[in-house]
Amino acid sequence: MEDLILTLKQQIIDALNLEGVTPEDIDDDAPLFGDGLGLDSIDALEIIVILDKYYGIKLANASEGKAIFKSIGSIADYIEKHRTK
Amino acid sequence: MNAPISITGFGIICAIGNDASQVLESLRNGRSGIGQMKYLESKHSDLPVGEVKLSNEEMKSMLGVTAPGQVSRTSLMGAIAVRQALAHAGITDISGKRVVLISGTTVGGMDLTERYYLQMKAGKPHPDIPHGNECGKSTDEIAELAGLGGVETCTVSTACSSALNSIILGAEMIDNGEADIVIAGGSESLSKYHLNGFNTLMILDSKPCRPFDDTRTGLNLGEGAAFVVLERDSPESMAYVTGYGNRCDAFHQTASSENGEGAYLAMKDAMEMAGLKSGDIQYVNAHGTGTPNNDASESQALKRIFGDSMPEVSSTKSFTGHTTSASGSIETVICLLAMQNDFTPANLGWKKQADGLITPTSGTTGIRLDNIVCNSFGFGGNDSSLVISRNRPETKSGHKDAFSSRTAACETVDSADMLADLKEFISPMESRRMGKLMKAAHLAAFRALKDAGISCPDAIVTATSRGMLDISMQFLEDIASNDEEHLKPTLFMLSTHNTISSAIAIRTGCHGYNITYSHGDESAHWAMRDAGRLIRTGKAGSVLVVSFDEMLPVFAGNPDAEEAESVFAKALVLVRN
Repeated sequence: MEDLILTLKQQIIDALNLEGVTPEDIDDDAPLFGDGLGLDSIDALEIIVILDKYYGIKLANASEGKAIFKSIGSIADYIEKHRTK
Repeated sequence: MNAPISITGFGIICAIGNDASQVLESLRNGRSGIGQMKYLESKHSDLPVGEVKLSNEEMKSMLGVTAPGQVSRTSLMGAIAVRQALAHAGITDISGKRVVLISGTTVGGMDLTERYYLQMKAGKPHPDIPHGNECGKSTDEIAELAGLGGVETCTVSTACSSALNSIILGAEMIDNGEADIVIAGGSESLSKYHLNGFNTLMILDSKPCRPFDDTRTGLNLGEGAAFVVLERDSPESMAYVTGYGNRCDAFHQTASSENGEGAYLAMKDAMEMAGLKSGDIQYVNAHGTGTPNNDASESQALKRIFGDSMPEVSSTKSFTGHTTSASGSIETVICLLAMQNDFTPANLGWKKQADGLITPTSGTTGIRLDNIVCNSFGFGGNDSSLVISRNRPETKSGHKDAFSSRTAACETVDSADMLADLKEFISPMESRRMGKLMKAAHLAAFRALKDAGISCPDAIVTATSRGMLDISMQFLEDIASNDEEHLKPTLFMLSTHNTISSAIAIRTGCHGYNITYSHGDESAHWAMRDAGRLIRTGKAGSVLVVSFDEMLPVFAGNPDAEEAESVFAKALVLVRN
């Protein structure tokens, strides 16, 4: 799980162009959207691409992401349960 | 306005017909043109689309083009619609007349660029499109193919509102005596590029779209072209352009605000200009894409404008699909057909009322339509509305040449080394998605605004020949190398030509007029001309004009030459004296 979290953080940093942010800067349980890291709806779509590309998880619509993308920890939990690759 | 602006002819080609009479028949019979993909070659062939039911070869032969070679589908459809419009208006001899062709497009010749991209990259470009096929070139091709070679041409590129903004520009030019005849509209072919782009935004419906329905989940893309002929107070008038508004939602690049502010302001401007109240409008052709967000936002705007006297409303995208940059003129022509034939088109696919949304019409016959509002909204919240009227409007002698202008500030950014200075205006977190060009344009714009002491201009006008070339190339590259999978929504969102004008509007909170010209080397000329007109006619007291372009080795025809890469942006603030 720790490996997954580290990999996921790096994938998100790369996909979202979070220049100057390191995996250590992102708290596993901190909110990603709004007051937390400050991500927005386009970032959510980028995370949906990460799920599909690296973990074989396809979300049917963007609104499903809301519950899953609360924090890095919640995304990692979802990946553990649903990954197909 | 100074004199009535007459519509004297129109032409149309789209999924429900290759000319106006076929389109009319389909509308009356409730026959949609959305279905299985036939001409577009894409991995996502399961997605329904509204294709024009002709191959490129069939269109070439309709136009009498016998020479072999590649012509963009955008140009072919555009030329067919322009020819129809000229014939409909009875225009055969244009000698001695000042004629202007204005086309709205964003995809332009992308259907060809994407087909030959890998060859271009390998340094062996297709001889017909050595440097890709950008928007301005497609308009010039339309003029050439339609027998208008040599007339003045212009290309407007504000994403899905492009064609309506072309008509608005045409009306302004007629009103201000800059042209005798304007043929204005838009053309847009389906492309793998924007099909995949919309797919990454997760706003395509895998079933036929259902605008305003509770179960709607997205749009279906379509294609086509339509043009109207505009003249000053003609005795041959079939209807009049009596009002228009172009406003920016200034909210988000790809989503509309909850209360539909931009749409509300655009409709309000258009109706005020026409001197009409809510009860005077009998039909609204809604933008109505079928996405959850657009239809909710547009419903709020409609309710704010019309209150208890809501006219009949429908989205004809349920017939044609969302024809993106051409939708504004395609739907204007549909409104003209409705007005001439006393009916309102149905909103196909609608079954279940959605909470808070308007209730669209299922189509009415035998209804007199004196005034119609046509809505067309684009990415970046570029929201435009047009009012067309059956009766000749009263006109007041107006605003002609009332104000003079001066340049209050001018800034140039011509080197990537300068881009670090952007942090004075925008934090690295906020600029993290921007490519070099977008950063250069923002730096020039915000420096110019600062020099002029203006935080929010009244209007924003931008000019670009090739738009976001670097971003577009990355997306093309991903389509080619990832087999249309796992594409980045950010790249698509940033790649429209009006991304920068909208981003500046969002940052400055500017809800005013917002437009982007993409007409080759003449883009900046058209932008300055518009800015001058806005000040002169009293429509704006300050206008931010930003011109920007970048070049990449692949598109310069020299994939290995690093020195071919460049970035350039110039911003100036024009103010009323």
